[in-house]
Amino acid sequence: MKAWFRKYILLLPLVIWLLVFLVLPYGYILVQSFFSTDSFGKPVPGFTFDSYKQVFSNSLYIATVFRTLGYAVIVASICVLLSLPLAYFIAFKVRRNKTLLYSLIALPFWVSYIVRAYAWKIILGKEGLLNGFLQWAHITDKPVDYFLYSTFSTLVCLVYILTPFVAIPVYAAFEQIPRSLMEASKDLGAGSFTTFRRIIFPLALPGIISGATFALVLAMGDFLAPLLLGGPKTLFISNVIQNLFGTSNDRPLGSAVGIIILILITGILQLTSRYEKKFSSLKADN
Amino acid sequence: MRKRIIRLSVISLLFFAFSSCNNPPAATADGSGKTDPAQLKGSTLNILCWEGYADPVFTKAFEEKYGVTVKGTYFGSSDELVSKLQNGGGEAYDIISPSSDVAGYIVSNGLVAPLDVKAISQWDSISPPLRNMADVINEGKVYGLPFTWGPDYLIYDADVVKKEPDSWKVFQNPIYKGQVSLWDDISNIYLIGQMDGMDKTNPAALYNMTDDELNQVKAQLIAMKPQIRKYWSTAGELNNMFKNREVALAIGWPLTVASLNKEGRHLRAVIPREGATGWIDRLMITKESKNKALAMLFLDYVSQPETMAKVLAVTNYNVSNPGSERFLTPDLKKIADASQYFDRLNFWQMVKRRKKYNEIWNEVKSAQ
Repeated sequence: MKAWFRKYILLLPLVIWLLVFLVLPYGYILVQSFFSTDSFGKPVPGFTFDSYKQVFSNSLYIATVFRTLGYAVIVASICVLLSLPLAYFIAFKVRRNKTLLYSLIALPFWVSYIVRAYAWKIILGKEGLLNGFLQWAHITDKPVDYFLYSTFSTLVCLVYILTPFVAIPVYAAFEQIPRSLMEASKDLGAGSFTTFRRIIFPLALPGIISGATFALVLAMGDFLAPLLLGGPKTLFISNVIQNLFGTSNDRPLGSAVGIIILILITGILQLTSRYEKKFSSLKADN
Repeated sequence: MRKRIIRLSVISLLFFAFSSCNNPPAATADGSGKTDPAQLKGSTLNILCWEGYADPVFTKAFEEKYGVTVKGTYFGSSDELVSKLQNGGGEAYDIISPSSDVAGYIVSNGLVAPLDVKAISQWDSISPPLRNMADVINEGKVYGLPFTWGPDYLIYDADVVKKEPDSWKVFQNPIYKGQVSLWDDISNIYLIGQMDGMDKTNPAALYNMTDDELNQVKAQLIAMKPQIRKYWSTAGELNNMFKNREVALAIGWPLTVASLNKEGRHLRAVIPREGATGWIDRLMITKESKNKALAMLFLDYVSQPETMAKVLAVTNYNVSNPGSERFLTPDLKKIADASQYFDRLNFWQMVKRRKKYNEIWNEVKSAQ
């Protein structure tokens, strides 16, 4: 008993933390999703599936969930495409100041999310930097509306915010690849691209998947970018949830949507972690 | 091992990211409950209100007089206010400024405390029709100090829209494609209803639509989407969009016109031939406020004619104390002359099926 206690006491603070700030709130959300409300949203305790029925009978909710998932997949894919060359460059092409370059990736985090989202308004607006440049260079003759207050601007902002979440694990994965394997590949006559395709990429795949998962899940849960930069058609599921909690004041319905997303995200995480394991082919790790 | 490093690096990154998010420090209020002003010194009065209602132009004198801090937090819609109050916000805020659509609900649900009207020296000077409105009187007790009222104007940028629009239908004019901004709020449902003349015989019709009517309104709002640049969620956001010439037409409040024109822009506001909706805002003290004495002093201060005149100068909204008129400049006097449009406003009423209205509005937003 004593030994057991000593062993696990280190975990106690975290367990308490998770219990109070994760398990209990989620439990409450689950319970609340079965409540009903009056017209102004005062929750009425009870046990009803009405909220779930509403989620599945009104296309607003499910369609928005899957549209958001689609946006998240796009964002995660672009983040990966941008991160691969960047991480490759820092991991294999740079000799000096590696740590400096690596920490530059994290530099944007020094500025708050909202400020960075606002910065995109200045860049993408009708009188913004990008439109100003395009007109100055005579590429366009009038401002392009679509740059700002559109799904485009929302996705641009999310890619910008989330790329470091992908670049850092991808870089870490590249760094872990034994240089001997790459040298062997080159000795056997493979060019850089073949080495990347057949050695580096497969070995880094777990890192790529875990980075992409982070971007996917964070994009899926974002509501600020669509709120600040989105147009009349941009609606993420988190905006709907935010509205259900903060405006419509239908907390049971908001909870039901939340539970469904929770299940969806858990499913995605299971799937990606299975693939991560599947591709962890470098068994002789250290 | 490799994976663990990846995980650790990402997790540390997450912490990094979230710790740089904005976390406004929570202000605590500790009122004493006594009216001795000396004891109130150093306390903070928290006001949850529409934009412009806690402007330093008129709160500063109060702060200096009592040695207190007035902190305004803005809400973006009536629903947001109700939601904040019901989710425990009553403790964090001392004064709220609900509009006529939710005031009655807030009173009847016991979210606010009755006012000691004797402590408001100007009570008898407040415009009687506003003072006697039944929705904030319960069992003989008064729960709201009438503060301001005004229209939901059709606002246009005279630099772009050369001819004064005479109908809300200008929002549907293809010339202004992508140049219109509507409020991110269920009031767009009232707007369409008014465009269709639904409230000609019965003003309440806008606030009590049937499912069929709501579906028709929804179809019209969806058809209007190509016209829309963005749905604004705060007056500040709308101001910015006009400022950056992102939009030329919007539904909005006099505050937007007032603040932009102070910066040299040429915004105009009209009430089109279909009429406009309007609102009456009251100041109330939350039931859980720990600063009730200070809050009462603020209500007394804000209802003084001179303060009311300053409120009008900041917001361009009509104020409830007619005595303020003698402190107004001729320009502001013209704005304050309500006779020209009071009758053309359909004042917000309680929407019984608010949840349904909100869902319809969300469906409009999600339509592709």
